Amino acid sequence: MLITENITKSFGGIKAVDACSIEVKQGSITGLIGPNGSGKTTLFNIITGFYQPDAGSIHFNQQPIQGLKPSRICHKGIGRTFQITRLFWKMTVLENLIVPVKQIGWRTLLSQGVKKHEEEHAMELLDWVGLSQYRDTEVRKLSFGQQKLIELIAVLMSDPELILLDEPAGGVNPVMIEKMMEMVEDLNRQGKTFLLVEHNMRLVMELCQHIIVLDHGQKIAEGIPSEVQQNPLVLEAYLGSTQNVNAGA
Amino acid sequence: MEKIRIAKVVLPIVLLGILLVYPLVETSQYYQHIMVMTLMAAVMASSWNIIGGYAGYTSLGHAAFFGLGGYLVAWTHNEYGWHPFVSTWFLALVVAGVALAVGWIALRTQGSAFVVVTIAVIFIFRLLALNLSAITNGAQGLTQPRPGWGGVQWSPELMKVPFHYIMLLLLCLTIYSSWRIRQSKFGMGLIAIREDEGKAEAVGIDTMLYKVLAFGISAYFIGVAGGIYSYFFTYIDPGFVFDIFVSVTMVLIAILGGRGTLWGPVLGAFIMQPLANWVVSEFGGTQIHLTVFGGILLFVMLFMPQGILPALNEFLMRWNSKTRSASAN
Repeated sequence: MLITENITKSFGGIKAVDACSIEVKQGSITGLIGPNGSGKTTLFNIITGFYQPDAGSIHFNQQPIQGLKPSRICHKGIGRTFQITRLFWKMTVLENLIVPVKQIGWRTLLSQGVKKHEEEHAMELLDWVGLSQYRDTEVRKLSFGQQKLIELIAVLMSDPELILLDEPAGGVNPVMIEKMMEMVEDLNRQGKTFLLVEHNMRLVMELCQHIIVLDHGQKIAEGIPSEVQQNPLVLEAYLGSTQNVNAGA
Repeated sequence: MEKIRIAKVVLPIVLLGILLVYPLVETSQYYQHIMVMTLMAAVMASSWNIIGGYAGYTSLGHAAFFGLGGYLVAWTHNEYGWHPFVSTWFLALVVAGVALAVGWIALRTQGSAFVVVTIAVIFIFRLLALNLSAITNGAQGLTQPRPGWGGVQWSPELMKVPFHYIMLLLLCLTIYSSWRIRQSKFGMGLIAIREDEGKAEAVGIDTMLYKVLAFGISAYFIGVAGGIYSYFFTYIDPGFVFDIFVSVTMVLIAILGGRGTLWGPVLGAFIMQPLANWVVSEFGGTQIHLTVFGGILLFVMLFMPQGILPALNEFLMRWNSKTRSASAN
């Protein structure tokens, strides 16, 4: 579904991503892990068009997408969340869900800001995460965990095929993490594909069917969770020791 | 809440009613003149608000489009006999086209860099107006024949009346467009851009397209106003229109009334323009009205940083919930 080939990106003299080739299979939940500064978020930003790669290519559903603007990539069917939650803070919860657009055309531009079917869809999603009572509340007034949920369901509004989650569990309490894991699994069963960056190893090991490990911008390993856990390169670069991983679980 | 909703419908109708009969009731040319200028200020601030308020891009370059509209109308009137009341609507499309091109370049910058780039736009237009003397008559500016229609000049006593109605028509169109934009996906996207441009792009909003369109539309109505203005004064020169003060005035009026709101810029214009005229008539043609202007703005910034209308709205909401909880108790 998503294939990157030899993606390279430097900032000054530092190679943030170095000849990185990854593949995300349709219908999978793929984890992208690595120590801080290993290039995970940079790779996310390259896939979603926020950064242009210095070299390499990206294909989504067999179509090249490198060089496209983030909005066009979104229209192709890739949605994303951000490491630090980004929402339209002074807008209401409902407005945050209605803002995403699937395509640009004159008809879309001039059409009613809040359409009935969009509102219904937004309310369904809010009901699903149990936040429908906040529909008219400014999103900045919600708790951090609730904001993370809103960011995730706002991505769903444009009905993407592939969803990139950048540290969805970062700073979120354990109960909310459980809820988020259930949501991702639910959505995956409904056919959504996920690529997620996460430091919470328990979440990654339980949720992901396939894991890719980056270090210093390069892919050092990939495979199913149990394989990755045993890989000496990974242990050295990131996980520390198997005991720690098991203890974390 | 219900009362506020009713007021939002009733007040504009009452205002329109008053403005429709104003020149018939108020026959003093001085007050008619002030009203034409007030309507024009409301048009300019409301139009600027589309890019500056909704999208949050503080352009100080819109005087360039005001001047361009004025020059195009004056030149085509003198050269081809096109009547300004008709031509200004079409010539402002040229202004909007120029604004689209300017916006396409300027809107690559953000924040203070954008403000500086837009100021540069005014200087470029002023230089062009000063140097393309074959069309603009250089520093001397362009003069137009005294206003009239079909070869008949309007009598001095009634001369302001047609300008009042055409400016009122323009204001209605500007507010309608602003309202229509605010209600649409386009307007929602502009506000999303103001809140977080990167996030807006990530959720599928083509931010560059939205911004450039908003810039062009906001230049259109200001261009029309510039055309009417040059006919109203029958004279236009580079220093008068390609002046940063023209831009600053519309920005400050919008901020005063409530930037990003539909009616804020109109309210701001109806406060500032008459007040500025009154100060000038009281204290003479010095720049003292600028001091008053600054003082009022300082007061608003300190106590109502969102502008008058949002502050009023918040006050009414709070008062409403207070009376509701009091009645519940």
